[in-house]
Amino acid sequence: MNRLQERAFLNRLEELRGPVPARPHDARAIAALAANPGCARRSVMDAAGIDKDRTARHVGFPAPFGQSQFAITRGNGFEALVKENGCAELLRVLRELLGLPIPQVGYRDVESVGSHLRHSHTRALIDHAAREEEGTAVFYDHPLFSLEIAGHTSYLEPDVVAFQVGGRFHIVEIKSFALVDGQAEPEKVAAAARQAAVYVLALRTLLADLGHDPERVSHDVVLICPENFANRPAGALVDVRKQLAVLTRQLTRMTRVEHLLSGLPEGLTFDLAPGEDGTPTRSAEELAEALRRVPARYAPDCLATCDMCMFCRDEARGCGSTELLGRQVRDQLGGVSRVSEALGLAEGTLEPAEGQEEIAELLRLANRLREESLR
Amino acid sequence: MSDSLDALERRIAELRAEVRRAVAARENALARSLRGDLRRAEQAWDAAVTAEAPPRPREAEVSLMPIREQVHQALALLGVPTSAKLVVAVNAAFFARELRGSQLTSLRRDEERSFRSDPYARPYYLCAALTDRLSPARGLLADSTWPTELRVLGPLSPRVHFLTSTMRIAEHLTRLAEPPAGAVRLLSRMAQNIPGAAAGFAPADPVIALRAAGAELEVHRAADAAQRSEVAARAARQLSDVERLFGVTAMNTLRGAC
Repeated sequence: MNRLQERAFLNRLEELRGPVPARPHDARAIAALAANPGCARRSVMDAAGIDKDRTARHVGFPAPFGQSQFAITRGNGFEALVKENGCAELLRVLRELLGLPIPQVGYRDVESVGSHLRHSHTRALIDHAAREEEGTAVFYDHPLFSLEIAGHTSYLEPDVVAFQVGGRFHIVEIKSFALVDGQAEPEKVAAAARQAAVYVLALRTLLADLGHDPERVSHDVVLICPENFANRPAGALVDVRKQLAVLTRQLTRMTRVEHLLSGLPEGLTFDLAPGEDGTPTRSAEELAEALRRVPARYAPDCLATCDMCMFCRDEARGCGSTELLGRQVRDQLGGVSRVSEALGLAEGTLEPAEGQEEIAELLRLANRLREESLR
Repeated sequence: MSDSLDALERRIAELRAEVRRAVAARENALARSLRGDLRRAEQAWDAAVTAEAPPRPREAEVSLMPIREQVHQALALLGVPTSAKLVVAVNAAFFARELRGSQLTSLRRDEERSFRSDPYARPYYLCAALTDRLSPARGLLADSTWPTELRVLGPLSPRVHFLTSTMRIAEHLTRLAEPPAGAVRLLSRMAQNIPGAAAGFAPADPVIALRAAGAELEVHRAADAAQRSEVAARAARQLSDVERLFGVTAMNTLRGAC
């Protein structure tokens, strides 16, 4: 893309967003991008930095998320415990897990410089650490990374970065869900891994930017959780190579949303400009109408990651889409995109179109089996 | 103790039986002396049972000592710049006093104000530990009477401080005839993060903890001291009296940035 095209592209995104500031992506949001890569609605909204939460609220489908205050307090408390006394608890875990040698205990609190300098200070410290041959291992507490996403800079705060012998950086992710008998809930671990992958990517980008080898950031992230109902931190290494691959692909796709944009009608906007009383001036119907112009790919797992989930679910229900049944079922149904169509094929009231013979046969078989078992 | 209680209960039962027999046999003199024995046995039982009741646990009491005195005492025990959280824990463990973290938040600011309006009027000030950029370290309290080398931080200092405070707590525990349970718990929790200082979740032995922490401290001591004296020298060169105690604000650090 040349400079002129890029400007036009960014203008188009700004037009979509309307006269409101772009919503910066946090690591959680970036990680969620990898959850449903095929959804055009989401790609466009994320690329334009549209506040999906406010949009969903305005059209009357607020997403049922939000962490409870209790969970937040617990998370913060656990993080403070892991980091207190110069990361003493974390040091124990890393000594057990990675064999961190005794002399390597350095600790630097990046936040001590004040928030406005944190990003440049992180850069300077990481550069310094990467230059030193066998420097003392250092915990960088409260670092601040940045990542370019579709023309906007997002700032990210990993929990801790640990520098380790062998010249490799490790991202440390502190989570307060419990590790019981060495096991944790797979979905929570997966979410943590996706989030940590964002930090790995950001740190790799930083190293590459400084002229170092980005591979010095390990793809193994250290996940710290409380163990066996006690509040004692325990650690595990999580390989995030897969998450990294998905994320990288997704981020490159986001910069290539232009072909998605070219398919959209002129003048389309998801403008949320607030009136004097703070509520958006645009009517909810108008906004919903605009949203429907961009195709969504709803799947039940959207309920866990996307702010727009309730709106898309309602829409999918309204038209009887088979997407509602989950990705697996939808894939098995082949080209059948409506529930009514599938039922028609199964009951034989609908003639299979070309290419649908096989799936129609399967549906009829399934229907016959069902009838027999109900008899 | 409970053995003697059991014996006394048996004796009481026997005496009651004998009193019953004596009364039945109309041996009044014998019955009277047996009743006397029974009463004495019962009194002994009463005394034994109340003596055995566990002493009431020491309750955290609201101390009459001002907060800054309490913090100063905890800092004197630990001897290194310390986070408010550890100050509160030490204060509760050794002095059985209740101090809340939130009570410490404005302490450093108040001290700075007092120093600015009337320098060196107090024997000591609760001041800040200084980072290598000579700004106040977040959340760490220090004592103004300590030499600057002790109040500045290098990258190794948080670990050195942790090991030193563990050792000071362990030392203090070895001096106490009856170590308070809270202090033993505090030491055990800290010792778990030092190689060879504690076995599993068992209460830590102060002597072992002292040795293990000392061994690790030896590894870091020289490098840390060198880093710190460099920062301290810079502080002495660049800072005014009040800045040396309370640090410089972020914008000013730019001139001393490394």
